[in-house]
Amino acid sequence: MNTPTDHFDEREWRLQERALREERLASADGGDDGIAAYRKVVRALREPLPDALPADFAANVAARAACAPARGDSRVERWLLRALVAAFAASALYVVANDGGDWLRASASLLPAADATALRSWGLALGACIAMTWALGRMREGHGHAAMR
Amino acid sequence: MDDGRTPEDRALVTAVLGGEPGAFERLVRDYQGLCWHIVRRMVRDPEDARELCQEAFLRVHQCLHQYRHDAPLKAWIGQVAYSIAKRHLERKRIPVADSADDEGVPLHERVADDFDLEGAVADDDIARRLHAAIERLPPLQRTILTLYHLDELPVAQIARITGLAEGTLKSHLFRSRKRLREWLAPGMGVAA
Repeated sequence: MNTPTDHFDEREWRLQERALREERLASADGGDDGIAAYRKVVRALREPLPDALPADFAANVAARAACAPARGDSRVERWLLRALVAAFAASALYVVANDGGDWLRASASLLPAADATALRSWGLALGACIAMTWALGRMREGHGHAAMR
Repeated sequence: MDDGRTPEDRALVTAVLGGEPGAFERLVRDYQGLCWHIVRRMVRDPEDARELCQEAFLRVHQCLHQYRHDAPLKAWIGQVAYSIAKRHLERKRIPVADSADDEGVPLHERVADDFDLEGAVADDDIARRLHAAIERLPPLQRTILTLYHLDELPVAQIARITGLAEGTLKSHLFRSRKRLREWLAPGMGVAA
């Protein structure tokens, strides 16, 4: 249960912030009891913590990191992934080289004769799709930057 | 740069990702103070805190390629450290922030066991009692107070680290400082 004095009070907040500024600047005590009390609080809060990380912490962590797999996957995994992609590409090339001619002929026989008007319509539709995708991407990017601010 | 992103950080990240010798150690040295402040304020046990700091930097090393330079590196690393410390507390079922009941309990009632509240008025003693009172605050409040006063981070960056709204953070800061001051009042003769 919150006490009534816990409600945010803008005047009291300004007093706290003034005490922080005065303590940072090491200003002379102005004789205000409220500020003086808050300055004591701020002074205690600005004191370094009683213990710290060991002096060789950074070197030890760096040594451990050097042994650990970087970037979320190991070198072996990356090598295996590349090998898999290469094998897949080689298989695809082999199939296209063998049967590609037949596929092309079959596809060409199914298509109607080229018509300039139809080609222009399809071109416009394709252009509109690209433009809309680009515009949506820009809008999303704009929202992302606004959320960061 | 105004928002805390610096060309030095960008260069440092590039160097670490490029595997430049000594780059990651430099990054750890630059940010171990911040990481320690966050984790140590969240977790009371110093040994646990040291291990969690190490875990935080190993995570940073693993995930640095995901850092998009859209926030200061300091805030990004702080976020990693905070989430690791928070998860540790959750695993141990330690409340991160004040429970509703604790909010109403004055600090002097929580600290009174260890100290004579009416006795000392000397500055050293006041400071000692204040530190004890700070220690008794919940982990989240302790962390926010330290990041704001000791690390001098702006509220916006603390909001990024903790995932809390700026208004919530200001409210935490306001209430914690007010309670510390009220707790100080009997020893100092200051009207709360």
